[in-house]
Amino acid sequence: MNSSRRNFIFSFLFISTLFVSNGTTWARPKLIVGAIPDQNPERLNRLYRLLSSELSNELDITVKYVPVTNYPAAVTAFRTGGLDLVWFGGLTGVQARLQKPGAKVLAQRDVDANFQSVFIANLNSNIPVIKNQSELRVLKGKRFTFGSESSTSGRLMPQHFLQQVDIKITDFKGRRPGFSGSHDATLALVQSGAYEAGVLNKQVWEANVNRKKVNSSKVRVIWETPIYVDYHWLAQPDLDKRFGNGFTEKLTKTLLGLSKSSITQSKILKLFGANSFIPAFEHQYKDIENVARKLGKIK
Amino acid sequence: MRQFKLSSPILTILPALALIPVLGVVLAGMHNGGLFILFEFFSASIHPSLDPAVIHSAWRGLQITIATALLSWVISTFVGVLLGLISSSIFWQVFGFSTRIAIVLRRLLAIPRSIHELIWGLLLLQLLGLSPWVAIFSICIPYSCLVARVLTDQIDNLDHKALIAIRNSGVNHISTLITALLPPIIPVINSYGGYRLECALRGATLLGVFGMGGIGTELQLTLQSLEFKEMWTSLWMLGVVMISLEAGLSWWRKDSFLTKQSERQLLISMAIMLAAIVISFLWLQALDVNIFSNFQWHPIPLPTLVEIINAFSELPWINLITSTIVMTIFAAGIAIGIPPLGMMLWPTKLGTTLQSAVWSFLRLVPAPLSALLLLLCTSPSISVAALALGLQNLGVMGRLLKEGINQQNDNLYAAIHSSGSGKRLAWLYGHLSPQSKSYLAYAAYRTDVLLRETVVVGVVGGFGLGWQLQESLSSFNWAQVVLVATSFSILTLIGESISEDVRHHLLKSIKREQNPSLQN
Repeated sequence: MNSSRRNFIFSFLFISTLFVSNGTTWARPKLIVGAIPDQNPERLNRLYRLLSSELSNELDITVKYVPVTNYPAAVTAFRTGGLDLVWFGGLTGVQARLQKPGAKVLAQRDVDANFQSVFIANLNSNIPVIKNQSELRVLKGKRFTFGSESSTSGRLMPQHFLQQVDIKITDFKGRRPGFSGSHDATLALVQSGAYEAGVLNKQVWEANVNRKKVNSSKVRVIWETPIYVDYHWLAQPDLDKRFGNGFTEKLTKTLLGLSKSSITQSKILKLFGANSFIPAFEHQYKDIENVARKLGKIK
Repeated sequence: MRQFKLSSPILTILPALALIPVLGVVLAGMHNGGLFILFEFFSASIHPSLDPAVIHSAWRGLQITIATALLSWVISTFVGVLLGLISSSIFWQVFGFSTRIAIVLRRLLAIPRSIHELIWGLLLLQLLGLSPWVAIFSICIPYSCLVARVLTDQIDNLDHKALIAIRNSGVNHISTLITALLPPIIPVINSYGGYRLECALRGATLLGVFGMGGIGTELQLTLQSLEFKEMWTSLWMLGVVMISLEAGLSWWRKDSFLTKQSERQLLISMAIMLAAIVISFLWLQALDVNIFSNFQWHPIPLPTLVEIINAFSELPWINLITSTIVMTIFAAGIAIGIPPLGMMLWPTKLGTTLQSAVWSFLRLVPAPLSALLLLLCTSPSISVAALALGLQNLGVMGRLLKEGINQQNDNLYAAIHSSGSGKRLAWLYGHLSPQSKSYLAYAAYRTDVLLRETVVVGVVGGFGLGWQLQESLSSFNWAQVVLVATSFSILTLIGESISEDVRHHLLKSIKREQNPSLQN
């Protein structure tokens, strides 16, 4: 009696598992893509369908884009498995990879391997153009602003270059720097004179010069930083298990294969400010990790 | 034996003095370098972007925001009423327990209230992962505790004698509570609850943090890129919703004043809330926000004692705490004092209309945006941060003041005015004076809110505990997060006990002055 009942329960459970697992394989698996809010995030938010449809055509999966508007939230969403593939900055990518061991660095933009920030100053501040890193000391006692707290090009690397010549963030006027929140805001605030100097992503600076948003009688570049690596695509460690063997590689290939010759692909690349995506490797980000540890952004 | 006594209407205006030092610093730092961008911002209001992609995206965002706001509003009102009930002294008295339980509960509720919804969201996100419920919970936690506090204050202001009389007549506990407490609960749900809906709407602009999109995402992202025309598309949409909500609520209040039966009012409120839940569920589902997704538990390593001690020595506490307090006090002064001052100086119909239009605008503009706009014409300082925070909350206080005055009758004002006093004096003693007690109570709640909102003005310079909390969170330094969050709670508790003392003092002196006509 008892054993037949047990059998019944077992077979019931077995059959229902079959049903449940079948249920999930019937629907196309869903890849959830995210991006940190960095350059022109509002356009990315509106035009993400370009990228999702490209990826879903190439890989035969459903792609959903989830815009996360806060850097630490994006890192956390990756750790907790809410996002499968994320466009991270240098620092946030390293934070996410350390919190999710096994996460895979897939690709970066052609510009990311040799990324730079520019220090800019308002002309009224009389801050001279700097030829040598040690001359950054002229910024002591000035009103100075970074971009977002977790930005690699707007905060982390610039702070590192300042610290290399012994300038602490408490050396600025008011004993603290500002955090404008974005590269564009940094430019606007330095150009207006609210801050005498600031630092931003060189790519954003150049884009603003091209769009004639920079008034050269008010603001100029005083120093370009040495090169470092920045943004990259980071994927969950278990994508192959969920989407089938070799999926991560196929995904990487799709990203690397985006080319300007196709109209939609060229639009996607433009959205990311890239000419193309190129391979990226974990070891390239070791320096960023070290800097972040030194500055307390990684424990 | 005090020589002079401050009457309560003067007390509501006095905080406006904070404007003097703040404006002093702001004006001293004036520069004209940002005028062009400022002009661009305001001229963009006349021609917002009409790009179909922008409108489509903002429209979708608006719907997500409204649906989530409705849901969080119902939950936080409901939970808030329950919490408010059990943290009132009367509740425990009726059941024959010590009122000390109520006091302990009230103090405990100050802790969740002291943390900004953004921070709650980031913490819950750590534990529960991406889910719409993380957004909803993080809005509901501080909001329901705030509703609870408002309700507790209302209930404990009641006359205890009636209650004891009802109980002594042999009725059971539950019906005693219902008979005694229904009358004060209903106006709270009706008036304050309705106003919380607008707060929930503003709070729901935070949803982008949790990947839900919403109109706040549009605002934040367009602010980052300074795309003012696109920003105004969203601002106008949100503005229209807020204005129609305000109009709808004031119509509802007028209408519900006609039907004085409290049971019926309660039933109608409940029906509206129930409908709101169903609508928002279906709406979110239709918008492809998966509200039925389930949770997974993602534990984080708790900081050890050693880490906490280390973190304690890392941070410049005195500096952090002083700048937070200074910022909060100045912002509160501006937010509390300016509306009654402005209304007294310009009490005509035109003046009132113009001022409430300005208040609506100020409520619409998020503090980070107004901080940025201010910085375009002045130098960064703690005053700018305080002014930015103060301005947004000024809009809220102004609205509360106007509503309070609209709900009272005009007899006192007419009497004073016809006795030959000027319009301003008549406004001060006829309109403001009867309102001042409840206005000051709301002012105390607002100060709470301001303290936790110091989290959002980093653009002005990394000031205070609020900025430190964001910095520690973005470094995933849990030991620091624990310490900074604790300091927020302690500051809130201190603020609360001060404001309670002041209120008691005030109540006593008012009772002594105008004994019989004490209205609640």
